[in-house]
Amino acid sequence: MFELLLFGMLSGIAIGCALGVVFHRNPVHCALLLVGVLISVAGIFILLHAQFVAALQVIVYAGAIMVLFLFVVMLLNIKGETPLLTPGAAKFFGFLFALIVFVELIWTAVQPSPEGQGMPDAAPLPADFGSPAALGRVLYTVWLYPFEITSILLLVAVIGAVVLAKRKFF
Amino acid sequence: MAPTVPLVWYQILAAVLFTIGVVGVLVRRSALVIFMSIELMLNAVNLSFVAFSRQHASMDGHIFVFFVMAVAAAEVAIGLAIIVAIFRNRETASVDDVHLLKG
Repeated sequence: MFELLLFGMLSGIAIGCALGVVFHRNPVHCALLLVGVLISVAGIFILLHAQFVAALQVIVYAGAIMVLFLFVVMLLNIKGETPLLTPGAAKFFGFLFALIVFVELIWTAVQPSPEGQGMPDAAPLPADFGSPAALGRVLYTVWLYPFEITSILLLVAVIGAVVLAKRKFF
Repeated sequence: MAPTVPLVWYQILAAVLFTIGVVGVLVRRSALVIFMSIELMLNAVNLSFVAFSRQHASMDGHIFVFFVMAVAAAEVAIGLAIIVAIFRNRETASVDDVHLLKG
C-alpha cells in the first residue's frame, strides 16, 4: 500500500516536471525541472530495488550532466523563445506523431503475452539484488568487453568536445 | 515478496515520459530544450529497463542502464559543444535558424 502511494506520488512529480521541461519558456527553469524528473525517477528506481542505479542517476544525471546543461544555458545567455513552439504544420504533425507513438506504446504495454494471460509473476529477488557488488560482478564478467569499449567511447567524446569547442573551428 | 505495483504501471509511466520527450523534440525550437527532451526519453527507457529487470530478477537491465548513462554523458558533451560552436558563429541556438545543409 505504502509502495503504491509512493509510486503514485513520484510518478505524478515526474510527469508534472516533464511537462514543465517541454512547455516552460525559460531554459534555466527547463533544466531545473528536468532535475526534478531525474530525481523522482531515481526514487522509482529505489522502489524497483535498483539502489545502485538510483545513486548513479542522481550523481551522473542530476549532478554531472545537468550541471553541464545549466553551464551552457548560462554561458550562452539564451533568451526564451518567441514563439515557444515551432509554428504551422510542423507543430500539428509533431503532436499527431507523438500521439501515435503514445498509443502504440500503451497498446504494446497492455498486450497480454502470447503464452498466456499477462506477465508471469515477478521472480523472487536474490538478497543482494541491485547492490554495487552484484552489479560489478555481472559488469566485469559477462559485460567486460562492452565496458571497455564504453571507455573508448568516452575518450572519443572528450576529444570531440575539446576539438568542437575550440575557437576558429568553423 | 511480491511487488505491490504491477509491471504494466511502470511501463505506462515510461510510455508517458517518453511521449512527453517526443513532443519536446518535435515542437520546441531551442536546441538546448530539444537536448533535455532527449534526456527525458533516455530516462523513460531506463525506467522500462529497470522495471523489466525487477520482473525477471536479473541484473542485466541495470547493466543496460549503466551503458545508456555512459552514452548519454558522451552525447551531451558532444551535443553541447556543437551548440556552443553554432552559437559562437551564428548567435542563435534555435534549430529553425540553422539550415546550412538546406540548399
